[in-house]
Amino acid sequence: MPWSSTPGPHRRAASLGGYTLAAVLAGAEIIILALALNPNVNADYRAYYIDRTTTCLNRDAVGSYTHGETVSFRSDGAKKATGMMVCGWSGPVADGTHSLGETSRLRLEIPPLRDSLTATLQMAAVIRPPQITQRVVISVNGVRVHAVTLSGKEPRTVTFVIPPAVLAEAKTFDIAFDYLDGIPPSPAASNIYKRSIKLLSFRLDPIEPGQGGRSRCWPGLRCAKTHRSSMRRLTAGTSKHVTRMAMIGGRPSLAVKSAGAA
Amino acid sequence: MALEAVARPNAGGRFIAVAVAAVPLLFVVSGLAIRYAAFTSVSAEPGFASYAQALCRWDCAWYVGISEHGYERFPVPNQSNVGRWGFFPLYPMLVAAIRSVFPFPTILVASITSIACSYAACLVAWPLLEKNMRAYVLYCAFLLSGPFSFHFTTFLTEPLFVLLTSCVFLALKRSSYLAAALSSALLSATRLVGVLVVFATVIQMFRDYRAKGGSTLSFPHWLLGRPDLLVAIFISPAGLFAYVLFLYLTVGDGFAFLHVQRAFGRVAGNPLGFIWDGLSAVPTDGWLPTAPQWSALAALIGLALSAVLAVRRQYGAALFCACCIILPLITNLASMVRYVVGLAPLTMVLAMLLSASKLTYLAALGLFLSACYFMTVAWIGGYLALV
Repeated sequence: MPWSSTPGPHRRAASLGGYTLAAVLAGAEIIILALALNPNVNADYRAYYIDRTTTCLNRDAVGSYTHGETVSFRSDGAKKATGMMVCGWSGPVADGTHSLGETSRLRLEIPPLRDSLTATLQMAAVIRPPQITQRVVISVNGVRVHAVTLSGKEPRTVTFVIPPAVLAEAKTFDIAFDYLDGIPPSPAASNIYKRSIKLLSFRLDPIEPGQGGRSRCWPGLRCAKTHRSSMRRLTAGTSKHVTRMAMIGGRPSLAVKSAGAA
Repeated sequence: MALEAVARPNAGGRFIAVAVAAVPLLFVVSGLAIRYAAFTSVSAEPGFASYAQALCRWDCAWYVGISEHGYERFPVPNQSNVGRWGFFPLYPMLVAAIRSVFPFPTILVASITSIACSYAACLVAWPLLEKNMRAYVLYCAFLLSGPFSFHFTTFLTEPLFVLLTSCVFLALKRSSYLAAALSSALLSATRLVGVLVVFATVIQMFRDYRAKGGSTLSFPHWLLGRPDLLVAIFISPAGLFAYVLFLYLTVGDGFAFLHVQRAFGRVAGNPLGFIWDGLSAVPTDGWLPTAPQWSALAALIGLALSAVLAVRRQYGAALFCACCIILPLITNLASMVRYVVGLAPLTMVLAMLLSASKLTYLAALGLFLSACYFMTVAWIGGYLALV
């Protein structure tokens, strides 16, 4: 029975109560909607879930690592490798750890360093014609340190130097791989499923002062360049600079060398 | 004589009441037997617990997790990038509440609860099927012993969704808007698309108003003059809003259930494009349709049955079902078969159509019961179209 048909003296009260309840419900729903439209989340959550500016959701993974140790990213090194993976990886499996999405990250706990490091990575490109190469930009602690173009299915060794300025006062070594040529499994698939490389092994070696291959930031030059602007530069056509100086603001910043760059 | 005349219809009524209660019970038993036989054909481990565990596939594990551990905050523990936020809370909450009384393994409690919900959904469907016994038998067979009966008897939201959808439409049939609204509120806390049933409520209000001679243009004014109807409309999405508030307070994002879809790889696109892509995924060997083809066919059949509902002037149910198909279709064809078979108005109209002649009725009944075995084997085997 509708409240409006409630007899006599109760009708007005029932009607008023009905309107009040409807108003309270509507008001509560509007408030909840307003809260939902203004999420109170951290930057990592926002970037991955809301803005969708990354395919790699930052997590608090930090692996342990001893300099000079080669970590296998195949099945045989699963325990060690998994501890280092932050996001953007699948595996390890027999042929290595596969990248997932447009960015992958590793994070290690490292002792304070005053010298440069040489990173040696064994990587293989994921190829599906017509995509037969994979361009990878490697950044450490947010600073671009290397770019490489992988081609062919065979694994290649990529070596580059990480200058001390990048590692200064950093308690962790955060290495990011940005992929410019990721292959989606299907045209309609999400970019979180793109495939680019297989990482087979990872190694860091400190470089003693006086040893060859040392690199540093040039005096007075800003090293800390955001990694996304580096990406923009690379995509803008300056990608053929592997094995050469990486340029920041038109001047050389980080000396890099590559054993596996195409 | 007079007493005898009164007693006879009463006896007939009692017989029908017993039949209405017994038919779904019969299919509960036959369904259990058929699915258990399918389970033993692929598993060496006997027992109801193993059977219930084997049927707990795909999303079932998420619901078990919610029921046992609730929802995570962010960051998600164990360095996972996927929270349980995409799965709505009412059914896992119900199972958790029952488990607190009967301390058995979650999947056992959930399986029995699902069977109970599906049984209750059958009973509620009786008046909705115009008390057509053939259609009722087919509907009960479909839910409890049919080719997709595993969806309605394991820990998925479908059993509760079907039950609450039936409750909403029964209440609307009786123009009991407050009852419809309360069921709608629960429905919107069961699955996201449940909130869409509010449109069916408004359509029914409009039809009732028109039946009383009201004009179309004056409907909003009339509605504003009926606080009882306004309360019903605002109560309907209350379950969804309660969940949004909960997510805001725990995760910080009230729309986490939508945003988390990114981690499942769902990307918005053209529904027609997804259907075309699905139909185009022809099998490379053999003649059986591929999983995308089954999913696309399910979407098309669902939309066709929605059109049948519209032709039968069940506009609210037609709109609700069409929206429940098109909304998930915006992202892709995933779970489309389950979504379509979980729409009670569609399965009811299908049962009505198939019961039109004795031949189609018997053929459909036989098909449902025999397909139950093979589809259960496919479900346990992880066949993608059934996800």
